[in-house]
Amino acid sequence: MKVEKRGKFRIYFDVLQLLDKEMKSSDKPSLTRVAHEANLPYDRFRNCLDYLIQVGMVSRKDGKLVVTEKGLEYVEEFKKITDFLRQMGLLS
Amino acid sequence: MSAEALIASEFISTALALILVYFFFKAYRFTRSIHLLGLPVGFSFLAFSYIFLGMSLLYENNVAVSESFLWLRLITQSFGFAFVAFTYYFSSKTERATKFFLGIISFASGISILLFLGALIIAPPFLELPCVNVVDECFRVANLVFLGYVICHLVKHLKPSHVAVSSLMWAPLAFSLLWLAQYSLLICGIDGSQTAFVVAHVARLASLTLLIRIYYWSGRARQ
Repeated sequence: MKVEKRGKFRIYFDVLQLLDKEMKSSDKPSLTRVAHEANLPYDRFRNCLDYLIQVGMVSRKDGKLVVTEKGLEYVEEFKKITDFLRQMGLLS
Repeated sequence: MSAEALIASEFISTALALILVYFFFKAYRFTRSIHLLGLPVGFSFLAFSYIFLGMSLLYENNVAVSESFLWLRLITQSFGFAFVAFTYYFSSKTERATKFFLGIISFASGISILLFLGALIIAPPFLELPCVNVVDECFRVANLVFLGYVICHLVKHLKPSHVAVSSLMWAPLAFSLLWLAQYSLLICGIDGSQTAFVVAHVARLASLTLLIRIYYWSGRARQ
């Protein structure tokens, strides 16, 4: 089966969305679970996370990782553009 | 339609097309899908074509200058529609094929515009270009073919799985209005109908506005 290759912006979107879900819904948040659900090897996931922290989309609060307002805005914008492209018939 | 209204219509169309360029470029930046690059490029060409038509109206008294702008408008408009049509054609093709053909069409558009500008600057005394109004109809038929392809592609490929069915009709409607604008101008070129001329301008403005609204609606539909 051919697996669709994701661009880095799609990967950031997936990581942010899954991280936010994990932090909000789980009592014991696990980064390994997020990496697994994002379908990324752990080292690549860490690199991605480091980048998201560096650009201010993810931050540490009381030892926990949280998706910042900027990160949530990115997620919303990505969803909006995906919707737009679907409506334009350019994304299945 | 008065000359002032026509010039205003061209510059409003330019502004609308540039807003679309921004949206489509943003979509490309987020997805990095090379085929999506055809849309901002295509709408940039269209924006230039509206500027050129506006300029030809501004310099109406100077026939040579006005005709030069009309030529530029014909070429840029057709390349604009060609880029949009190719974007839809390559949306389901491989990245490699897309890069190759996007390269070819970019090269072709660059070369033809340069050749044409060269012909205008160097050759006017020796080489007579055909009458712009005659060629205009051929370009318009080509534009109708490109837009017809986009509409067919949209009707065939829109799937209601992720998006509400009602929101799927706007993009085909917007491109149908662009098609109507080209068709009306073709009719106007043949029989000089003023109604067709007005319809063309209204349809074009409505189409560009609708495309911008789709962007805003796509955000609202989720909320």
